[in-house]
Amino acid sequence: MDLLRAIAIGVLFGIALYQLLRRNVIRIAIGLVILSNAVNLFLLSVGAYNGVVEAYAKAVGQRSDALPQALILTAIVISMGGFSMMLALLYVIASRYRTGDSDEVRGLSH
Amino acid sequence: MTNEFLVVLPILVPLTAAVIAIALRRRHEVQAAWSFGSMLTSLVFAVLLLADVWGQGRPLVFQLGGWPAPFGISLVADVLSALMAVMCQLVLAGGFLYALGCRDQCAQYPMFYPLFLLLATGLTGAMLTGDLFNLFVFAELLVFAGAALTAMSDDRFGAEAAYKYFYISLVASIALLLACGSLYVSYGTLNMADLARRIAADPSPPLVLPAMAFLMVFFMVKGAVMPFHFWQPDFHTAAPTPVHAVLSSVVVKLGIYGFFRMTTLLFPGQAELIRPVLVVAGAVGVWFGGLGAVGTYDAKRMLAYSTLGQLGFILVAIGWGTPLALAAAIVYAFNHSLLKAAMLMLAGSVASRAPVKTAAFDVITGVGKKMPLAGVLFLLGGMGLAGIPPLNGFIGKLMLFQSGVESQAYLPLAVIGLAGIVTLVYVMRAFQRIWWVPMPAGAKTKPYGDRLIAPAILIALSLALGLWAEPLLRLAYDTVAWLSVPEQYVRVVLGG
Repeated sequence: MDLLRAIAIGVLFGIALYQLLRRNVIRIAIGLVILSNAVNLFLLSVGAYNGVVEAYAKAVGQRSDALPQALILTAIVISMGGFSMMLALLYVIASRYRTGDSDEVRGLSH
Repeated sequence: MTNEFLVVLPILVPLTAAVIAIALRRRHEVQAAWSFGSMLTSLVFAVLLLADVWGQGRPLVFQLGGWPAPFGISLVADVLSALMAVMCQLVLAGGFLYALGCRDQCAQYPMFYPLFLLLATGLTGAMLTGDLFNLFVFAELLVFAGAALTAMSDDRFGAEAAYKYFYISLVASIALLLACGSLYVSYGTLNMADLARRIAADPSPPLVLPAMAFLMVFFMVKGAVMPFHFWQPDFHTAAPTPVHAVLSSVVVKLGIYGFFRMTTLLFPGQAELIRPVLVVAGAVGVWFGGLGAVGTYDAKRMLAYSTLGQLGFILVAIGWGTPLALAAAIVYAFNHSLLKAAMLMLAGSVASRAPVKTAAFDVITGVGKKMPLAGVLFLLGGMGLAGIPPLNGFIGKLMLFQSGVESQAYLPLAVIGLAGIVTLVYVMRAFQRIWWVPMPAGAKTKPYGDRLIAPAILIALSLALGLWAEPLLRLAYDTVAWLSVPEQYVRVVLGG
């Protein structure tokens, strides 16, 4: 289970970073969402330390730490706000530059 | 009312005022007066907080919701936090004053003042919080408000600048979350005092070093330190003047504050790993920023690169890490905030008088002929940045070089000493271009521009602190004395 989770986090980070580095601004935004989800999964697995199991405690007597879950909730809310603001900015950029290619969005670089 | 409430008031006042200001959006004058009034109130509370913390000689702690320290969220004001809060609120109030007298369309928008107050909330909160995750929340608030304020700029590239700033800041916040996770799994706490205690007791968990690296990335992006600075010059070219005057001067100080906390509170044992990185990044940044500023085509962009260079000096000082160097970093950071905000406001007010509203040197050549007061202020500010007396900048630089000699770091000293000359080069070049060279034939300035009262106040303050520097110096030395005993901070926060 630990291995599976570690692989999932790694794969998500890989996909996210790949998307972040692409030229299409929409893909960058998607990359950011995947990245924040990868971090959330990482935070979830952080709940397991010192004899405490993570969120899905199965056996009687096992405890899970509630704090990482609270952190994730906060992070989800904030990243949702961030994503919606990102989309709004992208809308302005796309309608102004008539392109979704980040190499052509360069009004400021001389 | 007990003193602890003073810690929460500089955060609570702008937050509440922002909500009320949104309700007042239909009456612009009322909204502006209300927002400015609450900004000043919050500044007064921040000053009272500093006076209390400094006078009583102990940090003030406010436990949110009454939960004791490692379980709840603590707001902690030690002398460093309180001083940073005062510095931020001072410059924010200056930015607000500039916004009231500026001719930008965007300052008339109903959401401008509420967002500005939220920016103040986020910044002050990030300085005063004693909890890493809470730092993330406040930093996000800061980024959201800053990006929204930039996107509504009059400049048609505002959205692009906001996009770059927002994007890189979100990635930085994710680095902070990773650091939070790494530290939580190692120590089971996110309270900075608790973390400091546990890290000092047992620095062996394998995720401590990655956590340090992620924190460094976060603070470097926030502080626009050399390898993570790419959003900064673009951002400053397009953001509204009151906004970038604040962002370039005090928001970048969040990074500086973070490095102070990292080297003296969280990781004093591992500081030997952090310090060389800071010295190298700072020394490179000093040259990169200086040469970048010399090579730009735009006054605001020049000042943005100059921030890079000036922050380099502060980073080198934190990297040396001796008490004198840390005190120099504090003094330098304080005076850079005042001067850089004033300089950016002056550039903005010159741009507002230019035929086309931009700070590009081609357009603003000779515009200053009509604004002699702005010229005097710009010259004074430039002298301060370059470290020429009588301004406060001289004292910061003097202390910095003294501390370099004291710690026998001659190579970095020579590197940054030479770069100090570059500062003079670009400031004088801008001054000549704007105030000496005659305007091109046929070009006409606008009869009115942004008011100069805000930069005049900031420069006057800096001049006063240059002529009568003892209070600030004493404050800086006391801060360093506090920083050198993190156990005291830990004891006060955790109680008992």
